[in-house]
Amino acid sequence: MARRRSGVRRAGAGRRVPAGVLLAIVLVIGAVALIVARTSLGPSSDAVMQAGDDGAAAAGRVATGPARASEGFFSRLGGMWGATDRIEELEQENRELQAWRELAERLAERNARYEALLRMPADSFGEGADIENSIAAQLVLDSGGPFTRTLVANAGADHGVRNGYIAVNENGLIGRVVSVGRRASRVLMLDDYNSRIPVMGEASRVRAVLAGQATRPPELTTHPYQVQAPRMDFIVGAQSLREGERIITSGDGGLYPRGIPVGVARRQNDGSWRVALAAAQRPIDFVRIIPYVGVVSPEDEPVESEGPPLASSSSVAVISRQTMAPTATIPSTTAPPAQPRPRPQTPAQRPASTPAAATPPAAAPTEQPADPPPAEPQE
Amino acid sequence: MNAFSLRAPSRRALRGWGFALAVLSVILPALPLGPLFAQPPLPLAVLWAAYGWAAEDESGWRAPLTLALLGLLHDQLAGGPYGLFVLIYLSAYLIGRIAAVAMSAPNLVSLWGGFIFTALLTILIVVGVERLLAPIAVVPYAEAALITAIFFPLVRPLYMTAGASVRQGSRR
Repeated sequence: MARRRSGVRRAGAGRRVPAGVLLAIVLVIGAVALIVARTSLGPSSDAVMQAGDDGAAAAGRVATGPARASEGFFSRLGGMWGATDRIEELEQENRELQAWRELAERLAERNARYEALLRMPADSFGEGADIENSIAAQLVLDSGGPFTRTLVANAGADHGVRNGYIAVNENGLIGRVVSVGRRASRVLMLDDYNSRIPVMGEASRVRAVLAGQATRPPELTTHPYQVQAPRMDFIVGAQSLREGERIITSGDGGLYPRGIPVGVARRQNDGSWRVALAAAQRPIDFVRIIPYVGVVSPEDEPVESEGPPLASSSSVAVISRQTMAPTATIPSTTAPPAQPRPRPQTPAQRPASTPAAATPPAAAPTEQPADPPPAEPQE
Repeated sequence: MNAFSLRAPSRRALRGWGFALAVLSVILPALPLGPLFAQPPLPLAVLWAAYGWAAEDESGWRAPLTLALLGLLHDQLAGGPYGLFVLIYLSAYLIGRIAAVAMSAPNLVSLWGGFIFTALLTILIVVGVERLLAPIAVVPYAEAALITAIFFPLVRPLYMTAGASVRQGSRR
């Protein structure tokens, strides 16, 4: 009601501040104190927020249940329209992808042989991450607010989630767990204003820092969900970075494992670089929370070894022998024969725990490679 | 014929709808319903409520307390630092109180102008928090506040009356 009580000054009465205004002023002071306390203590120490996340996650599951059910129904209903055209389109796309697959397998085999020549360690997905013990969870709450970009997943300390674990979906990196309740955890997303992640170009190896902006660039229209395109800062060797190059985590700093796909580099009109996040290709629903133990640091004490690290069989020596013209001598009979190439592994044969990105497929056995297989170096 | 005659909703019903809209604007962005339900583009309906309640129920304790609770709920759901939305909503309430006292015979244009001024000041408050207290994103809030200001005339009847009769006595 609009009755005026204490706000009206009577003749002769002193100026009085209404009770509502006094209460509001007191509450404003309390709010400022809360912000200061939160800033000084840090988000990980906020037990009240974690407990609140548990309750909010439970309510979110109930609230989004009907929405999720109806979403599937309407998408199926909509999919019935033009299903024939869609099938033809997919078949055409499938034929094109078959050709690309053969090319990719040939290139992957050649690349594997080059890496074997160089004796490179495998550039595996999420080096240092405990992928076998990852925890599957479902997104139940999205911050949706203007200030922070976080999401709440329905797995918490009871499920084994801890602060610092990595959240990915089927397309790539989503973020990192910053707060853990008993049955829910909050994930700081890559596009959050406070998110800073060391990344690198997969091909060019250009290092950069991926900085969340929490703004709304045009990429949002092409990528349907809330995740947005963060900016790349402090790029080392930016001239080598290429448009459309895949961006992966570099592992620098130890917060994220190395080699997790982040997205694709996109150059802006003003010359800056942004990353179209891979995780934003589809709406984020299920997430995988991966324990990250970090790469083991070298021992403080030097380890006893039989010889110098670069012995006569080192990769440097191997390369020099391979690039030198062969001498006109009869090959030694003691030289080991060239090993047959391994049979290609189909996805069904591949171990379930091994991510697809870790093992590039080999070529078909009937396929003749362009270059002869390298012989083992003679000692 | 009487059965088909349209009756203007009561003031209490309008206020109830306004309160429901304010609560929904806090809860809906937290649900994973897609980009249309994020903030922005969803307006900050609690800012409307703070401005309207400041003009209509300025002496009571219910308005600031309700705004503080809505702010805390918004902070919890958004994962932001506790107190941020409380500060924003109560600041809008206090600015709305000053505007209510300053405007003698408000009409829709002056009320709209007052709300735009209030929304701009809350943006300045957010900038101050970003500079002094906590690292937060200012631009999305500014977008949401501007959207809220643009839609104010459409929802004004849910929160306040434009007539001068209610606000008489503000300038004594």
